[in-house]
Amino acid sequence: MHSKMICVGILLAGVVSLQGCAAPETQQDLFLLTDAQMEIRSRQTRTFDVTDRNATIRAVIATLQDLGFIIERAYEDLGLVTAARFAEPNYYDVVTITVTVQEQTAGKMSIRANVIYNNQPIEDPKVYQNFFVVLQRALFLPGESTPSS
Amino acid sequence: MGRWWLSILTLTLLSGCVSSTKPSDFFALTPEILTHRAMQTRFFETANEHELLSASAALLQDLGFQIDESQREVGFLRAVKERSAREYGQEIGRTVWFFLSFGKVRQPVDLHHKIVAALVSRPLNPDATHHEVRIAFYRVVWKGDGQVDYDYIPPGAQYMEMVNDPVVYQQFFAKLSKSVFLEAHRI
Amino acid sequence: MTTDTSPGSLSLLRWLLLIVLAGVVWSPACSPYEMRHDKQSDARSQIWLSEDSQVKVRAAQSRVFDTNDRRKMLEAIVMTLQDFNCKIEVLDEELGIVSAKKYAAFERPTFPDPSYFLYQPDTLLFLTRNYRDWGPFYHRSDLVRLTVTVRNRNDSQLIVRASAQSYLRAVEDPLPYQRFFRTLEQAVFLESHSVE
Repeated sequence: MHSKMICVGILLAGVVSLQGCAAPETQQDLFLLTDAQMEIRSRQTRTFDVTDRNATIRAVIATLQDLGFIIERAYEDLGLVTAARFAEPNYYDVVTITVTVQEQTAGKMSIRANVIYNNQPIEDPKVYQNFFVVLQRALFLPGESTPSS
Repeated sequence: MGRWWLSILTLTLLSGCVSSTKPSDFFALTPEILTHRAMQTRFFETANEHELLSASAALLQDLGFQIDESQREVGFLRAVKERSAREYGQEIGRTVWFFLSFGKVRQPVDLHHKIVAALVSRPLNPDATHHEVRIAFYRVVWKGDGQVDYDYIPPGAQYMEMVNDPVVYQQFFAKLSKSVFLEAHRI
Repeated sequence: MTTDTSPGSLSLLRWLLLIVLAGVVWSPACSPYEMRHDKQSDARSQIWLSEDSQVKVRAAQSRVFDTNDRRKMLEAIVMTLQDFNCKIEVLDEELGIVSAKKYAAFERPTFPDPSYFLYQPDTLLFLTRNYRDWGPFYHRSDLVRLTVTVRNRNDSQLIVRASAQSYLRAVEDPLPYQRFFRTLEQAVFLESHSVE
């Protein structure tokens, strides 16, 4: 009787422990775009009335430098800038930002910024607003930029 | 008794933890940003950005740096040098800890570091007759191995710091302005 | 021998004890790998190279070539670096910058470690935040970096300057640079002379 109980116990323990062994189902929502994400994208993107693409990329670099970021990569032909910064004085948290510059139509430049805190994308609209305010200053543009839809 | 003592010691070692900047603060303009900008930036009255970059590369080479990345189209240069980071002070600290813990704690010390200079030039006006040069120095440090009781601490733990010593930047720009025969103006 | 309590021998004994104690403390406090690294009072001071060594080294690192063909010179530099089995990392024709690196087995891992050979230490700015291991760690000492710049001296002359880093030190010995320039001269079919 006693040994039967032990057997059942072991079996139960085995079943319970096996539960943890199944890989989490990630494949299904990998690369899944939700409405929420589309909204985040619009927060991350702004259109500016500028003509010079090169100057825009340089302004992005200057903005990131002003904000204390270290430029990691900057490619003119791709219109891509990546930069990073530690959450000083703490060296365990790092913020990385990817900025892309695309010419929408003549005289309109679409800029998208993507901020990631450790592995966590930042969704707070205020963060992006602040970035674009500083960028706007670097572009010497008066007034507000238009949030792109 | 010995264990208890050790855990206190470990806690003391770990208690260097500090609060970190909140994500929303990363893009806020603080007064600190302006001081750093003034320290890291100079402008030159020249239309020749090419010469500024080329002279900067030569100067960094003069200072023992190796060019790591060059993206001329956006005026970006990165140079690095890797050196030993051992310091007497840390060695003494480690020996003191070793004594105090009766040989149970061997603190890891800084071993290697990579000093990096990230330099960006850009035109200041539409005619590109004035250019600014901005340089930021920082270093990434690797720690050596250590030991707490019988637990071995493998080497390689990293940390990073920005170089915020104004003298470093002053000297750099003094040398750069000498090599391009132009005055370096403060922003 | 009987117990000698004269002051002279006592102080000798005390010294001996001190030396033995210091030895005991010192031997585990420093691993041999660490000992191979230079010590200094402040690591930040290394942002600068000392003025003396700058002047001394600059002469050994620079050569003048009587040509104004930058492109040909850069091609020859790349070829020379390939001869030395270097991996070209940066090539900027307009600014005249060539950067290369190679790994010399100063610190061979004691056992075959794939991470040592596969690790790409320079693909990310901050490297790995979580990966702490011997293999890639050794890489920092094994990494040899080389930068060669070409600048116009005047309309008909180019200055070529090569600078290298090896085992976490700047290479200040003139011999490696002599070898480099000898190979480069053969690649461009030109004689070079030192900068006065």
